[in-house]
Amino acid sequence: MADLLDTFNVAASGLAAERLRVQTIATNLANAHTTRTEEGGPYQRRVPVFKASQLDVFGNELDRAVSSVQVEGISVDPRPPQRVYDPSHPDAGPDGFVLMPDINVMQEMVDLMSANRTYEANAAAVEATRDMALRALDIGR
Amino acid sequence: MAGNGISLFDGLHQGLERALDLRRSQHILTAGNLANANTPGYRAKELPFDEMLTSEIAAVERGESARDIQARELEPAPWSLDGNSVNAEREAVKLTENTVLYNALAMGASRRLQMLRFAASDGKG
Repeated sequence: MADLLDTFNVAASGLAAERLRVQTIATNLANAHTTRTEEGGPYQRRVPVFKASQLDVFGNELDRAVSSVQVEGISVDPRPPQRVYDPSHPDAGPDGFVLMPDINVMQEMVDLMSANRTYEANAAAVEATRDMALRALDIGR
Repeated sequence: MAGNGISLFDGLHQGLERALDLRRSQHILTAGNLANANTPGYRAKELPFDEMLTSEIAAVERGESARDIQARELEPAPWSLDGNSVNAEREAVKLTENTVLYNALAMGASRRLQMLRFAASDGKG
């Protein structure tokens, strides 16, 4: 049976997932102009993939409805690189164009705000759970 | 049990216990919804407290113990691009509401036990 302490685990999974999202966004922004990578070619945008994972497979119907979040992996955005005209760039081709990562700073900033707010919401869930658990301990006092 | 007037832990006590139980279940569902706020295709889940009240009252009147409650899944809005139906504002409000009600119930249970203790100690407790 899922108890109040399980709620901490669910909220913690949300906190970890959102933190990973912020890290991924920071990586994308940091590498917005990276033209050289280990795999060769310009940096490609990374996207974390989340999956809902059932907390208690053997519980009753209600327990089985509870899901924490699990990071399935980090996928690579397949969008093609941008062609930017900059003949002075060391990685420019003979036609003067450089292949740059197609990172949309606006999109990353919006994602960052969304991750930030969801992180806060999960932190609020932790606080509310603590509040409830402490109040439950007061029963009969 | 209720009605004979001498039972120590009567229907009110069971009711409080049951309500605390359901509020806890709702709380963990809300936490799960918030954790999956960015999981594509995830459906927000909640306890149908409005529907439950009538069915629970009917069950108690028939003398049955409360049945297994099923969570209700919320449909995503038509404009939800990834099929996720978590509404962060809604969940935040539910979280606060649920915490307040849980705390109120816990306080109720506590007061009830205080009354019993008061009676058990001849009114000196």
